[in-house]
Amino acid sequence: MNQAIKMAVRGCYKIFGSAPEQMVERVRAGMSKTELLQQHAHVCGLRDINVDMRAGQITVIMGLSGSGKSTLIRHLNGLIAPTAGEILLDGVDLTALSANELREVRRSSISMVFQNFALMPHQTVLQNVGLAKRVRGEPAAQVEADARRWLARLGLAGFEDRYPHQLSGGMQQRVGIARALSSDADVLLMDEAFSALDPLTRKDMQDLLLELQRELFKTIVFITHDLDEALRIADHIVMLKDGEVVQQGDPQSIVLHPANEYVERFVNDINRARLLRVESLAQPASVEELRRLERIDATQTLEHALTQAGGDPDRAFAVMREGHFAGMLHLRDVIRAMLPGQPGKPQVQPPAAAVRAGLNIHQA
Amino acid sequence: MSGYNAVFESLGLQGWCSAGTQGGPVTLAQLLAKAKANQAGAGEGSLPFPSLDALNSACPAIPRTRDMTSAIEHGFLTVRDGLKVVLDPLTQPLSWLLELSLKVVDLVPWWLMILALLALTWWLSRSLRITALAGSILLALGLVDHLHYALQTMAIVFTCTLICILAGLPIGILMSRSERFKSAALPVLDMLQTLPSFVYLIPLIFLFSVTEPKLYGIAIILYAIVPVVRLTDLGIRQVDGSVGEAAESFGMSGWQRLTSVELPLALPSIMAGVNQTIMMALSMVVIASLVSAPGLGVLVLRGINNLELGVGLVAGLAIVLLAIAFDRVTKASMARLSAQSKGYNP
Repeated sequence: MNQAIKMAVRGCYKIFGSAPEQMVERVRAGMSKTELLQQHAHVCGLRDINVDMRAGQITVIMGLSGSGKSTLIRHLNGLIAPTAGEILLDGVDLTALSANELREVRRSSISMVFQNFALMPHQTVLQNVGLAKRVRGEPAAQVEADARRWLARLGLAGFEDRYPHQLSGGMQQRVGIARALSSDADVLLMDEAFSALDPLTRKDMQDLLLELQRELFKTIVFITHDLDEALRIADHIVMLKDGEVVQQGDPQSIVLHPANEYVERFVNDINRARLLRVESLAQPASVEELRRLERIDATQTLEHALTQAGGDPDRAFAVMREGHFAGMLHLRDVIRAMLPGQPGKPQVQPPAAAVRAGLNIHQA
Repeated sequence: MSGYNAVFESLGLQGWCSAGTQGGPVTLAQLLAKAKANQAGAGEGSLPFPSLDALNSACPAIPRTRDMTSAIEHGFLTVRDGLKVVLDPLTQPLSWLLELSLKVVDLVPWWLMILALLALTWWLSRSLRITALAGSILLALGLVDHLHYALQTMAIVFTCTLICILAGLPIGILMSRSERFKSAALPVLDMLQTLPSFVYLIPLIFLFSVTEPKLYGIAIILYAIVPVVRLTDLGIRQVDGSVGEAAESFGMSGWQRLTSVELPLALPSIMAGVNQTIMMALSMVVIASLVSAPGLGVLVLRGINNLELGVGLVAGLAIVLLAIAFDRVTKASMARLSAQSKGYNP
């Protein structure tokens, strides 16, 4: 959790219109998005964004369409320049670079995967993957060998000479990922990379990404509107709304302590069973009772408990933490916990409270 | 003479008007008007459209329309020598190129020419059917003794199309890059496209000698360059934005992006422009025979001048056959190219 900060966005504003610089002060002074649009005909895209992206972590930027997440990710590689603020990569402010220096950064340090794949339709899969190194002017034989290696790594060996339109969506996005990885950049930007894929393929791609990440330790910035996807892959989640950060933190804290109604609406739609741990539902019980029950580890998810119980609502488990009894888990409570929480007071108790509830901790 | 006399009188401009000379030639309309006025003895109260001529009759200081047209002529003639000094050496290579291509047609034996053309057809279309069509058209033209004329026409069309592509591509690319350049270029392109083809010849006849090939070369190029420019611009603008963004995000330079992404993807559109350019060059080469362009147009002109119906019609049909061959070959190569660069809309 304490890796170095690889990229950072500091005090970033983006205003679209004819004289954006003059509007920044007004927005800083607290003018709202609608006022700015009605009185000055400028659109406020991003407002005072501060995000740290740590090396080797997956930072997920979440929000509905129009919340500014695609605009934000395009600031990170300079496709869009901020109206005010800094974009730091290893401490260097990208906004201060010349066009040539910025191009050099894009060639060597940051690569990108796109929602609609954006492969070159007139080039073969192999040529597409070799794009980054070819642009850098590396020798053709080396570029080709490297591209073949990446295609094989992503399970696309044998498709080298096909054209993108001959592949399925999932395979095209594998090519897109291979293309981005083959540039050997430390930072990987993924703009709704899996949103255009069907749910099963999307899950496969998420697994693939996590698997690759365990080997490569890239700094990944991932954009999505799907909280389930965010919770599966994120180390750090940034929630955007109308161009502002409404909450950021690790996935559990976002689900358990939504900062406002907007985040809550997101959180209510997710599969809590996959995220919440059984310890958060443990009830006090006597040791005699617990000894007779099947055991379950406290760090397991509720989904795991449901599976272990075979879906039987009358079952109960003894919750174990580091070899000790931590309380009893009723399947009925698990099912109840699936209900979306009431605004303001979640039905599910946070883990700390659950530990306190399991007062009678006995030796197993 | 007309009601405008009173207008000038009321404005107190009589002195200025009569100071003007009643010089210049008398027009037929003036003579007729004079005769009419004598007959009717009226016309004092009539109000014709206040054209230059009508106003002139009331106030001689105002120039007549024919003074204006002759002023344009004089103006052109005075700048002509200056223009010639600049344009003559600039366009001389065009004359050489056209002369060279016509010489090739004269010197290379007919069978070698046909073989070379068929090889070119095959290379462009990769289709036996199209090559056979082109071969039978060439043989048919040869059979009725039109082959040499047809080859001359082709030589001119090829040369002019080549120059249209060489000049039109950069212009089209510039247009796709700069809105300002595009808005400046569009009216010029519109004018070139709508100006009647004979009108191109008028200033050129004043500038160059009618015996020089560059005279008709320039006319054909100006007339035919428009589609390749327009469709290059369109083709580049139609390249999917996300592909351009991907090129940008991998750090491509402008030149890399143009040569490895935009031009390949715009190629089908550019080829459609080339196809149109060839067709327009072919139609202009017939008109250019008025100013000594050799080829099938000469026969058409003979048909008109001497009322030789058969000669004119056969030559006209031969041009149609040539047009069919050009069209099929370029379309086949277009289909081949777009098959290579497709994949956008699965």
